[in-house]
Amino acid sequence: MLTIKVLGSGCANCKRVEQIVRKILTDMSIEAQVIKVTDYNDITAYNILSTPGLVINEKVVSYGRIPTPAEVTTWVVDALQTA
Amino acid sequence: MNILNVISNLFYSGLGNLASYLAAHVLLCLLPAFYIAGAMTALIPKETVTRFLGRNTPKFVSYPAAALAGSLLAVCSCTIVPLFAGIYKKGAGLGPAITFLFFAPAANILALIYTGGVIGVDLALARFFLSLAFGIGIGIIMALIFRHEDMEHDKATDSMFAAQGKMRRVALVFLLVLVSLLLSGTLKVGLLTNTYATITVPISGMDTFQDFLYNLIPYDAAKGEEGVTAQGAILIGLLVLIGFISWLGMENIFDGFNKWTWISLGLVGITLLVAAVGMTPHAGGLDIFINGKFFGVLLALGISGWIIKTRLTEDETRDFLWESWKFVKQIFPLLVAGVFAVGVIRALIQPEWIEAMAGQNTLLGNLAGVVFGVFMYFPTLVEVPIAQMFLSLGMHRGPLLAYLMADPELSLQSILIISTIIGRVKSWTYVAWVALFSTLAGLIYGSWIDGASVALVVLYLIIFLALLSGMLWFVNRRNTQKLAPVH
Repeated sequence: MLTIKVLGSGCANCKRVEQIVRKILTDMSIEAQVIKVTDYNDITAYNILSTPGLVINEKVVSYGRIPTPAEVTTWVVDALQTA
Repeated sequence: MNILNVISNLFYSGLGNLASYLAAHVLLCLLPAFYIAGAMTALIPKETVTRFLGRNTPKFVSYPAAALAGSLLAVCSCTIVPLFAGIYKKGAGLGPAITFLFFAPAANILALIYTGGVIGVDLALARFFLSLAFGIGIGIIMALIFRHEDMEHDKATDSMFAAQGKMRRVALVFLLVLVSLLLSGTLKVGLLTNTYATITVPISGMDTFQDFLYNLIPYDAAKGEEGVTAQGAILIGLLVLIGFISWLGMENIFDGFNKWTWISLGLVGITLLVAAVGMTPHAGGLDIFINGKFFGVLLALGISGWIIKTRLTEDETRDFLWESWKFVKQIFPLLVAGVFAVGVIRALIQPEWIEAMAGQNTLLGNLAGVVFGVFMYFPTLVEVPIAQMFLSLGMHRGPLLAYLMADPELSLQSILIISTIIGRVKSWTYVAWVALFSTLAGLIYGSWIDGASVALVVLYLIIFLALLSGMLWFVNRRNTQKLAPVH
């Protein structure tokens, strides 16, 4: 099963990323664990310079911006194939 | 006077302040400012600046780069905290991280434009340059004081700072056009303020409308208060409309652009144009003065519209609009509430109190400004109308600058955040230095305002810097001697 983490302290953009991720998971009916990481010490452990960050199976796929749904879909599919 | 009367007076004072703010100050400076901030966040790749913040960058590059990062990238706390932690733990170290932290709230694009538009360009420039000098100064001091700890910090590679980013030239041009939109609306030069044509629109009743507004929101020009003109009332109406339509057009922008998106942008353009012209209502109708500002704004709007339509990709446009809207949503409501509260408080404070405390450029006055700044916490940008209130109540510009330097840097929020990342001792040392430097900034700027010659001001600065560097050199030498056997 995929583990998807949304890194961010809860600003507007972080919530948006979480929404996009959840919607894609529902649309594609993929089961995944979505975790929100809000603690700054945990966030900086991922080597990102600005939030929101998106981590799929412990790999940072994007940070500092809101990815498009198409991008997120590609990353999710990639992660499923490598897994 | 009964209690109800007092309350309704306070309420009117707050409302009047709010109305005159929205009508007079917000439009031509703050509206473009939100779009500039949005464009910066969306269109400048962070890597263009962060690659100068790595561990191996020489100090004379990393400190200015940290300040630049504070000014360009950090309008939102989403960026400030991770970037601060990143620079401190994995990048250039404590010094540049502190410079970044100091510079970001005081000299980000929104704060500077707003200070310039409301209080005056001189104070905005003073805020910018003194923040730059002191931000770098405090960064260097902190790095020297805590050099032991700084050496031990995370030895991880700084690969996260290695990424190269290139800004597209069209994005840069777009930013410049937005800046010129701001300048053409706010600069007070003859070319822009001269009237080139006058149109009289035969609408009757505008003059009675304006008298009605003056009666509704009474003002006292002697106290520095401003009334609401008929033009102001039209603008407030347009603003409310923009807010409403933007909600429809921008909130769901990630599902694609809709017609409301474009309608709201069109309205913003119209509003800026209405704000640019001069209007005088009289019995026969409404005189509209077409001035240089109008043509400047029209030209800048036209070019930026053309760039959005033909040169930016859909993703870029969407990110740009979303970031701008996000800033508006995040900051504007707080600003409205803050300005209202300032109006209420203003009615309660006697000018004599401010006169006595900080009417002169004294050490005590500047300290009072700093202490107020440290212990009061205001949301982003609200410090500006508060500063303007103090100014109109008779505060000297020196202590005013001291307050403006201390308030955003030393909010409770920022102290808490940096405590979790760098520890309590370092945070409080930082607070002490900011307090000292802000007081000094106020004193120096104040003496310049009072007419001290530039040479004297420079002399003060040099004496201070000499003392400081002498002390630091001494501390540094002692530390090095202690460190020597370890090497």
